[in-house]
Formats: sequence, C-alpha cells, structure tokens
Amino acid sequence: MSQKLRILIGLIVVVVLIGVVLGIEALRGRVDNSLQAEITLEPGNVPIYLDGKLVAAFAPDALETLEQVNLTDAEEGKNQSGYLLHDVLLTYLDEDTLSPETQITVASSVSDKSAELTWAEVKAEENMVMFDLSSRGTLKLVSLLEKLDVRDEWVQDVDRIEIANP
Amino acid sequence: MKKTYFSLFQLILLALFAALIVVAKVALRLPLQLSGHSGIFWMAIIIVAAGVVPKRGAASLVGLTSGILASFLGLGDFGALDTLLSYTMVGVGTDLALLLLGKPENLVVAGLAGVIGHFAKFLVKWGMAAITGAPVGFVALGLLKAMIGYVVFGAIGGVLGGLTLLALKKAGFFAYLQEKR
Repeated sequence: MSQKLRILIGLIVVVVLIGVVLGIEALRGRVDNSLQAEITLEPGNVPIYLDGKLVAAFAPDALETLEQVNLTDAEEGKNQSGYLLHDVLLTYLDEDTLSPETQITVASSVSDKSAELTWAEVKAEENMVMFDLSSRGTLKLVSLLEKLDVRDEWVQDVDRIEIANP
Repeated sequence: MKKTYFSLFQLILLALFAALIVVAKVALRLPLQLSGHSGIFWMAIIIVAAGVVPKRGAASLVGLTSGILASFLGLGDFGALDTLLSYTMVGVGTDLALLLLGKPENLVVAGLAGVIGHFAKFLVKWGMAAITGAPVGFVALGLLKAMIGYVVFGAIGGVLGGLTLLALKKAGFFAYLQEKR
C-alpha cells in the first residue's frame, strides 16, 4: 500500500469518527426528546426547581445571551471560563422570588455531587459562582468561594438546580 | 536469557517521556480558552517517544504510564478512571495510527498520527460522558468546537513531534542509539 493511500485512509478514519460522534449525539438527542416529552424538558436541559416545583429548563441556547466571565482557580492556577450562576438564574426567574437566604442546590447525578449555596453567595460577584463549559462539553460549577474553590468541591456534569426559599 | 520486547534502556526512555507528559500537563499553561490545547505538547511528546523507540506499543506504554501517574496525582476533573483511560488511549490511538501510516519522521504522518491519537482522548471523554448520561444539549453545544480543537492541536503537536524527531536525527541522536546497541 502506498504512503499516500495510507494517509488518505487515516484522514477518512478521522472524518468517519467525527461523523459517528455527531451521528450518535443526534440520535441520543432524538431518543431523549421522546422520553422526556411528557415533562417538557428538552434533551440537555438542566431542570430548575423552585420550592419543589419545576419552573424552568435551563437550555444551552440561553448561554449565548449571557456575558462570559473568567476565573483563575486557586488549586492549579488554571483559567476557567463560563457563565455566572447568578445570570443563569435571572434568565429564568424573577429576582423578587429570591431572598438572600434562599438555598440554591446545584447537583449532578452523574458525579453524585452537589453544592449548597445561598442566593447572597451566588449574587456576590466577587465569589464568581459560575458554570464552566468543561472540555467534554458539560457544565461544571466552579467558584472562588472557600467551600467551592478546588476540584474535589466543584460539581461536574451539572444536571439539576433546586431553589428553596426559607 | 530470553530477550524482552523492550530493552531496559527503552523502558527507561519511555518512562521518562511518560513523566514528561505529566510534568508538562501540570507545569505548562497556555492562555488559550480552547478545548484540547494541551495536545500541542502532549502529542509532540508521544510522537517523539514513538520515534525514539520505534516499536509497536511504545506510545501505548507511554500513555498507560502517564495515565497511572496522572491518576495518582489527581489530575483531571472527572475522576481517576477518566484520566487513566484518556491518557492511555492517546498512546493506543497513536500506535494504531502509526501502524497504518508508518514512521513518524514524515511530518504528514506525524501530524495525522497526532490527530488520531489526540482524537482518541476526546473519544474517551465523550464516551464517558455519554455512558454516564451527562446532559446531551450541553455536550452538543461544545462538541463540535471541542472536536475541532482536539484535531487542530493534535495535528500541531504531531508536527512539532515530527520536527523534533528530524532535529534529533540531524543531531545524530539515532546514530548514537545505534552505537549503544
């Protein structure tokens, strides 16, 4: 087999792999759509519950309208880029529904982790409570808050937000 | 005495390359907000390793060793298994690419092997996210951008590795290795 043919095969392999990934994702989206149609959550949406009631579905499209922010994590000095949780919540909720003591729980069933924050902590810009879009394309909750400033404390693959008023 | 597949000298070289990957991952920070940008140095090291030890499995061994080291050091955001598999697959992907393409001294081969090796890492990360049921929409949002990042930076890293191999050849490193045998 000539070198040119080998290189061509290599390029085809890369293109096929990219096609397979995109195809499977499209298929996953379609399957999830049919499964979740009853609860009006689109695939990939993160449900937002207010006092136990589903009030919104956080959709990827919403990020396009939000301002991107950056923080340098204390642990590795790595730059994390994403969107403030504060901005995300106010896209779907009226600020009047939230008081400084309101408990906000950001959870991931995948990584079996959650973070509990108050609205006051989320609102304070210096805390930089934000969603970073991870390298594998899922949402990761990161912050400068002491209780949420290292990898072990971050919430990877976020798939649920619960808000409880006192 | 039975001859082993890798000589002790080659194993030491490969272990050093594995350590170099982990050190580079920890110490080198590029101010790029793009997925897979670490592939620039990552794939360069793997390609150099595969060129310096021209045996099937050399890149896989570097990937596995660096994966074990990185897992113990707690690198990566998605746990030890994700780290171990993704590091290992970089090596396995590179080995498979070189099995098809030939020697990495050819810059096109090095670049393409870099793309395939680095894309194998992406496949592990994406596969793990798919298996664990991470939210699909957010995956799709960053998916194409991430794939392009992995392909481009893998190619750049591969070419840099190929250039390093050519420089080593020019400097007489391979002739030195031949003498050592």
